Amino acid sequence: MASSISSSEEIVHDTRHATLPSDLRLTAADRPGMAQPVPERDIPQQPWRTIALAVTVLVLLLTSLWELKMRTLDLIPGDLGESYDHWAELRRQVDKRNVPVVIIGDSRILFDSDLNRATQLIGVRPLQLAIAGGSGLPILEDIADDPHFNGLAIVGMAETAYFDLQLAGVRPQKALELSRWESPSKRGSFLIHRMLSHGLAMLDDNYQLSTLVFRLDHDWRPGVIDPSQAIWKAQETGAEGQTWLWRRLEHDRRLSEHMHNAWLHFYPPQPLDDQTINAISGRTRVAVDKIRARGGDVVFVRPPSAPDLRAIEDKHVPRARAWDAILAYTHINGVHIDDLPAVQNLTLPEGSHLSRACATVFTDAYLRNLAGKTSLLHLQPGAPPALSTRNCVRPPLVGLH
Amino acid sequence: MIFNSLIFVVFFAIVLFLHAMPFPWRVKKINLLIASYIFYAAWNPPFVILLWLSTVVDWFAARGLARAEEPWKRRVWMLLSVVVSLGLLCYFKYGHFLIENFAHLASLAGFQYTPPQSSIVLPIGISFYTFATMSYTLDIYLRRATPARSFLDYALFVTFFPHLVAGPIMRPTELVPQFEVPHKATPDQLRFGLALMTLGLFEKAVLADGFLGPVVDQIYNGKAIPGFIDSWVGTLAFSGQIFCDFAGYSIAAVGAALCLGFALSDNFRFPYAAVGLTDFWRRWHITLSAWLRDYVYIPLGGNRHGNVRTYFSLMATMLIGGLWHGASWTFVVWGGLHGLYLAIERMLRKQFSGYRPGRAATAALGLLTFLLVNIAWVFFRAKTFHEAILVLGGMFGRNTHAQPVLAGVYLLTTTAIISGLVLAHCFMRSQTLEAAIARAHPVALTALWTIMAFAVVIQHGESNGFIYFQF
Repeated sequence: MASSISSSEEIVHDTRHATLPSDLRLTAADRPGMAQPVPERDIPQQPWRTIALAVTVLVLLLTSLWELKMRTLDLIPGDLGESYDHWAELRRQVDKRNVPVVIIGDSRILFDSDLNRATQLIGVRPLQLAIAGGSGLPILEDIADDPHFNGLAIVGMAETAYFDLQLAGVRPQKALELSRWESPSKRGSFLIHRMLSHGLAMLDDNYQLSTLVFRLDHDWRPGVIDPSQAIWKAQETGAEGQTWLWRRLEHDRRLSEHMHNAWLHFYPPQPLDDQTINAISGRTRVAVDKIRARGGDVVFVRPPSAPDLRAIEDKHVPRARAWDAILAYTHINGVHIDDLPAVQNLTLPEGSHLSRACATVFTDAYLRNLAGKTSLLHLQPGAPPALSTRNCVRPPLVGLH
Repeated sequence: MIFNSLIFVVFFAIVLFLHAMPFPWRVKKINLLIASYIFYAAWNPPFVILLWLSTVVDWFAARGLARAEEPWKRRVWMLLSVVVSLGLLCYFKYGHFLIENFAHLASLAGFQYTPPQSSIVLPIGISFYTFATMSYTLDIYLRRATPARSFLDYALFVTFFPHLVAGPIMRPTELVPQFEVPHKATPDQLRFGLALMTLGLFEKAVLADGFLGPVVDQIYNGKAIPGFIDSWVGTLAFSGQIFCDFAGYSIAAVGAALCLGFALSDNFRFPYAAVGLTDFWRRWHITLSAWLRDYVYIPLGGNRHGNVRTYFSLMATMLIGGLWHGASWTFVVWGGLHGLYLAIERMLRKQFSGYRPGRAATAALGLLTFLLVNIAWVFFRAKTFHEAILVLGGMFGRNTHAQPVLAGVYLLTTTAIISGLVLAHCFMRSQTLEAAIARAHPVALTALWTIMAFAVVIQHGESNGFIYFQF
């Protein structure tokens, strides 16, 4: 035994060994200053074979019942939710192939763009890089710094998200970090998750056990915002980035009213200061100039929102100080929902995003409008006829494609 | 790779399959070694080189130690091992911290020095495998062990994936002998190992990440001024989160090793039932506290050189233990607080050496221990002293402008989980998990295992890294 071990500590050890209760075993804590022996791990006497079999059957049964229950709530297999991994995968396409059109921005342009309709109209499928709850600016700056990109960037703008990076800057940064470096294990887990999600509807982050328990709270403690008042599931994400407003919000009045109420309290009521708006405009101009220097272009789109929500948004970031000012300062073309008379009064089930049918109509309208404003967007010779508000007919809902 | 990820499920299934194949023992060990490198590389492939470096240096240092006769030669070999191991640890873990503090000191002295932006990435689990490899050479230096006969066995000891990135911190004498002879799990070992993994994942994914983490984050984000209730509930939630996270990982690691037929050491023994801080450290992160005791406290003199030296050794050990957890002064304060607690306890034990507490006094002392541990956790969790002072202000009723922060459901779930956790620890205080399981009715055991497994399945979601990976 080494000389560095004191005799007193050895005595302590010996004493403990002698008085150890029968239900305990020695650990390294009981053996100071000595080589630790091979650990002992006893297997408790139990009918493990029967127990393991019963557990397997019961877990499979309960999981199947849970899956059925989740499907009755309008969760569907194939929905990738708000996955950064999926976004990162899409973003890396810019580095791998020639991408003529990308869409960036927040949840409005994300849910309100029908990529199939866009393909029919302009002959190419836009790459959807918008992020729910995220400002389009960090993504615009990212692709502006990417020499691979020389196409058209359609930037969706809810002014409140685009200009308020404190509110909407975190998610794009997280997504960008993941697109630059994703560990093999994270990538592998995502691929397995995607494979599983094709068969399972229950893998939705918004319907995790803890989230469901937290949502049971209804004003239990005065003076705090309880989790049930937060934004619940809002989107349905398929392969290749096609994202819609969650189908249940189109017919579940209670849920859509809850979401509408959540949006009404989402934005701070005080106006955003001029300094912030000018700074964002300046950063936008730098990014736009970089893209244009490579032969690319940038256009802006302002999707609709319900009148009561729009009033709050206009108080936080008024159109004149934001939309009009940034277009003038950066010499960007754009299309604002107010300037599209054919598609007014579209259906906004929860006040912030269009129904699936109306998203197709809106996509049709804004792309036709933009085709005349940038040389990088052309309507196909055989493009389908224009749609209007009366085409907002709800089609039968099927799985994600 | 982390245990609570889908990729690990696939990885582990392949490893189990290969280990069950009728290959020669040497081939199985090579399989395990390769699997362990893949396990580590899946996080960031280039950092496997560090693992190799650490492995190779300590292997040769140990051989040199074993061959050397003269004390100075033995000391040189030992120092080589310690300097390389601690050098890597210091560079990757403390490099930025040291430069920052240097810049701060320079500014105090009137010199303006702006350190360059640090891009050092902390290799996952470096503190764990560094301590594991150091114990190999130190045990040989202290003549407690002889070098491993086979490089393969030694490399597998360092790299074995269940304990590689977050412990338990294994000693060579615990694991190398297991690799020398063929090991294969019996069917019951496999089933019990899977049950332990389920328990670990339940603690981690459901309790720590699902229910407690969100509560902690709301209190420790520095944005709100928490009052008495919120501060205590947030801190209690953290005490549950850190236990469920780390003990969950440890028990999952024990289970994973058991599925392959190997035994890992106990790392936790129901610490929230501890009576006194000495007892707490004999139950919390046992393999680290034992490591620090054997390789820091005792070499510093332990309790052999009078009171002053003993208290110095105690405090130095706890400060180093604090710094081991992270390159921040808040961790040092956490370690210092525990050092202070232990020193006071030691003094009181001497003062009242004849005192034997009754049941009520034992319960009261247990409660006091739990409260003191929670107060110290504030410095462990807070990222800055400002955050820590804010939360401590709430805990001691000093935040006059506090607003309610936590929703009722958070108060309810945290109280329920922490009460259940502490009661379970008290119930299990004088027994092992295995002893309690052996006495349980099979139906109750089946129900419990099913509930935990089902809860893990329906909690799912994005896997969060284990808190201790960053240490």
